[in-house]
Amino acid sequence: MGLNYQLVLWNNHKKTYDKLIVLGMLLYIILFAVVTLVFNSETSIETLVIRAFGSLAIIMLHIILVIGPLARLNSAFLPILYNRRHLGVSMFIAAFIHGGFSMFQFHALGDVNPIYSIFISNMDYGSLTDFPFQVLGFLALLILFVMASTSHDFFLGNLSAKTWKRLHMMVYAAYALIIAHVFLGAFQQETSPFTIGILVFGFILVSSLHLITAFKEGHIDTAKTEEKEGWLKVCDISEIEEDRAKIFTVEKERIAIFKYDGKLSAIHNVCKHQGGPLGEGKIIDGCITCPWHGYQYLPANGQSPPPFTEKVATYELKLDGKTVYINPKAFEEGTEVNPCKI
Amino acid sequence: MEIVIKIFLGILGVYTLIGILFGVFFLIKAPKIDPLMADTKKKVRFLLFPGVAATWPFLIGKLFNSKTA
Ligand code: HEM
Ligand code: FES
Repeated sequence: MGLNYQLVLWNNHKKTYDKLIVLGMLLYIILFAVVTLVFNSETSIETLVIRAFGSLAIIMLHIILVIGPLARLNSAFLPILYNRRHLGVSMFIAAFIHGGFSMFQFHALGDVNPIYSIFISNMDYGSLTDFPFQVLGFLALLILFVMASTSHDFFLGNLSAKTWKRLHMMVYAAYALIIAHVFLGAFQQETSPFTIGILVFGFILVSSLHLITAFKEGHIDTAKTEEKEGWLKVCDISEIEEDRAKIFTVEKERIAIFKYDGKLSAIHNVCKHQGGPLGEGKIIDGCITCPWHGYQYLPANGQSPPPFTEKVATYELKLDGKTVYINPKAFEEGTEVNPCKI
Repeated sequence: MEIVIKIFLGILGVYTLIGILFGVFFLIKAPKIDPLMADTKKKVRFLLFPGVAATWPFLIGKLFNSKTA
């Protein structure tokens, strides 16, 4: 949205959240150290660091994976979603400390390259119980690195939104690798039941939340649409909340219909920034505000207010009594359409 | 198995090396990749460096496009 790039898009909210992230991470590490030392005072400091940061990283990864679906189910989670990027980068740092320390502890003291050593110090690739699980951690760390290092908006534009999205969908590959890393590692190390517990519980949580949202989304897709002289019936006005929207799929396109100031406007649901669902956002200062990172569009013409230049397609609406109808033909992006008076 | 590992890590090494070289080029001539970088503070380039090094195959094309344009 900007005309140049900022180091980090910070505002006061984000600063507060970032402080919370750092504070939470510190608290977890201290708590982990205290609990471990109380129950097992012989744990070496290296092992402690490796376990504390490994488990911290996996907990953070779970939070990252559930925010998306949670924010769709309940808008109270949206503020965390805005901050997911910083959470992702912090998670990478925790994973990097864990992996780096393990590499230093187990692979840096010999005369072979430590990375090569991760791959060849245990050659039991055919075994399940003795599998070189650290290799899986290494591969996951590579993926997390690519994601963390490309989280800036610069890459969104320069890699194209599609490539960027694909890269970041690899988080699920990383998640699978990490699960295998911990479980296969558990056969060989005395992995704590705590960590295994988190993983099992986490996996159930992540998959069920994704399933529930997928089901809900499917529900939007099949929203009833009755035709009347080329206009499609969408809903009753009362179904849309003030300053909010309802999302409908009309001829395979997602459209958000907003209600504000006694008016109705319809725009394409997909944000130009990263494809965020505009219809899940609110009208703030007269602008439709994307729930993901706050890009704004004027409801009547789908244009970002100057000096910004983003545009989305607009649609024509009409009212028959209390029933809203839409003309399924999209106007060119950024076309002014008279809002429908209620 | 060892040969597979050697090939994989060899490719990874070469990829990383080219990435670092490309990243250094970016530190010096960032606007050639993205004109918006001309008006962007210099320290942003350092923040972007790791990502540029990691995704160089996707970015290197911009160099040739901007020359023909
Ligand atoms: C270079 C990459 C990596 C290496 C060399 C590595 C190495 C190790 C080692 C040696 C252990 C066993 C520690 C012990 O219990 O004594 C371990 C456990 C673990 N790793 Fe990694 N790892 C890497 C990457 C990752 C990543 C990216 C994650 C997650 C984001 C991760 C999460 C974990 C977890 C949760 C455990 C179990 C900790 C526990 O026992 O409580 N690892 N890893
Ligand atoms: S997707 Fe980022 S602001 Fe809409």
